[in-house]
Amino acid sequence: MTPVTFFRRKQQVMLFTLIALLVSYVVASIALGFQQGALLQVQTGFLWMAQNFLPTATSLKLLPAVLFQLWRTFIIATAAAGVAGVISLLLAVIGAKNLGQRHVSISFFIRGFASVLRNIPIIAWALILLFSFKQNELTGFLALWLMNLGFLTRAFLETIEDFDTGKLEALIATGTSRPVAIMQGLLPEIATPVVEWLLYMIENNVRDATLVGLLTGTGIGFLFDLYFKSINYPAAGLVVVVLIVLVISLELLSTHIQRSLT
Amino acid sequence: MLTVTALSKRYTPDKPSLQDVSLVADAGTITAVIGPSGAGKTTLLRSLNQLLKDDEGTVQLDDVDLRQLSKRELQKARRDIGMIFQNYNLIDALTVLENVLHGCLGAKSTIAGMLAHYTAEEKQAAMALISEMGLSDFAYTACKHLSGGQKQRVGIARALMQHPKMLLCDEPIASLDPKSAKLVMDILRRLADEKDLIVVVNLHQVDIATDYADHIVALNHGRKVFDGTPAELNDAQIQAIYA
Repeated sequence: MTPVTFFRRKQQVMLFTLIALLVSYVVASIALGFQQGALLQVQTGFLWMAQNFLPTATSLKLLPAVLFQLWRTFIIATAAAGVAGVISLLLAVIGAKNLGQRHVSISFFIRGFASVLRNIPIIAWALILLFSFKQNELTGFLALWLMNLGFLTRAFLETIEDFDTGKLEALIATGTSRPVAIMQGLLPEIATPVVEWLLYMIENNVRDATLVGLLTGTGIGFLFDLYFKSINYPAAGLVVVVLIVLVISLELLSTHIQRSLT
Repeated sequence: MLTVTALSKRYTPDKPSLQDVSLVADAGTITAVIGPSGAGKTTLLRSLNQLLKDDEGTVQLDDVDLRQLSKRELQKARRDIGMIFQNYNLIDALTVLENVLHGCLGAKSTIAGMLAHYTAEEKQAAMALISEMGLSDFAYTACKHLSGGQKQRVGIARALMQHPKMLLCDEPIASLDPKSAKLVMDILRRLADEKDLIVVVNLHQVDIATDYADHIVALNHGRKVFDGTPAELNDAQIQAIYA
């Protein structure tokens, strides 16, 4: 292979990918009867949204109620991520291949368990749990918790498997036991990524909790559903605005925390 | 005294990593292990504290054969053996003080170790070692902010915190600039002399080995090809070792 053919091949792959994407869009739009013309009127849709969903002075009177439900949603989101985080970390330490787990089946089982939990959509979890736990906050908490458990176990497994085990070996060489070496050597080194994943999970949970709340009849999701169905659009808009404010604040907070950790 | 007899180790059946290696190292001396890359220097060193389980032979530290010990007994025996590494293997997120205190984890119960519960005497001893290594200004600095030479001195302080009889040094200066390398080698020399330690150090610089060591062992393809004093090592032998 010469440099000329090498780069020509790279360009051909890129061109082929672009064409494949374009073709898939055209095929999908024909199959679904998607009207390309509707794209041109997208601004009318946004205008209608702005006119109807902008919070009004009347809807602002509902702010205390909205904030109260937002607070409940936030603490459920945080609790789910926190509880799942502790258990996930334990599972990841047990399952990580580089920490001396000699039984491949245990590692495989933990990985599989995490994948199953993570790959069931949160809405499916909420619907399944609704049958057993009915419409209440516990159902919402459990749905978030199960999804978080799967997601965080996978994330922590990968974080731990990137860890340089020479550092653990150095502690084991001092005559300490493996559990102590893990506690004193591994945990401080992975603390930053673990906190980052937890913050990401909380942020994500606040968004998901809204959706879950629609089904479980709790929290901010329930309020949105209530206002929306009673055609109180400005109030529903208010719910969306406070949610956006909370999610952005959480993002800013997590950026700030990440900076102070590194 | 460290006495290694007929130590052998194979990773794959056809390629032995160590073959019938024997050596004796006395307290208060530096034994340098030299040889080309892949000669088995690291394998030998890691066998000396049984981080690697070998296949045959004996590793005796003051009459105790480390190869015959149970897991728990070995854990206890390792307290007597400090180890320092080419890439330092410090916990970068923790401070110099915490890393040095890790040296006394082996002497603690599992619970005390997990909770990092150190006594006032241990903290004082750690601070004294930090000062001895010239790192007093960095006691509360996270190790990730230190230079290579400083990190290696933290590694030495951590090993000394164990009050070891023997210090194993796996290429301790391979990642350091000449000035830091000299500083680290001077410290090792002083420790052997003043604290009467058995120091075994893997090196790939022959000139440093001849300058600092009392005793040189050379390996090639897992076999011992030289065992003597620096004065006995001549150019022809060096050529043969690295052939």
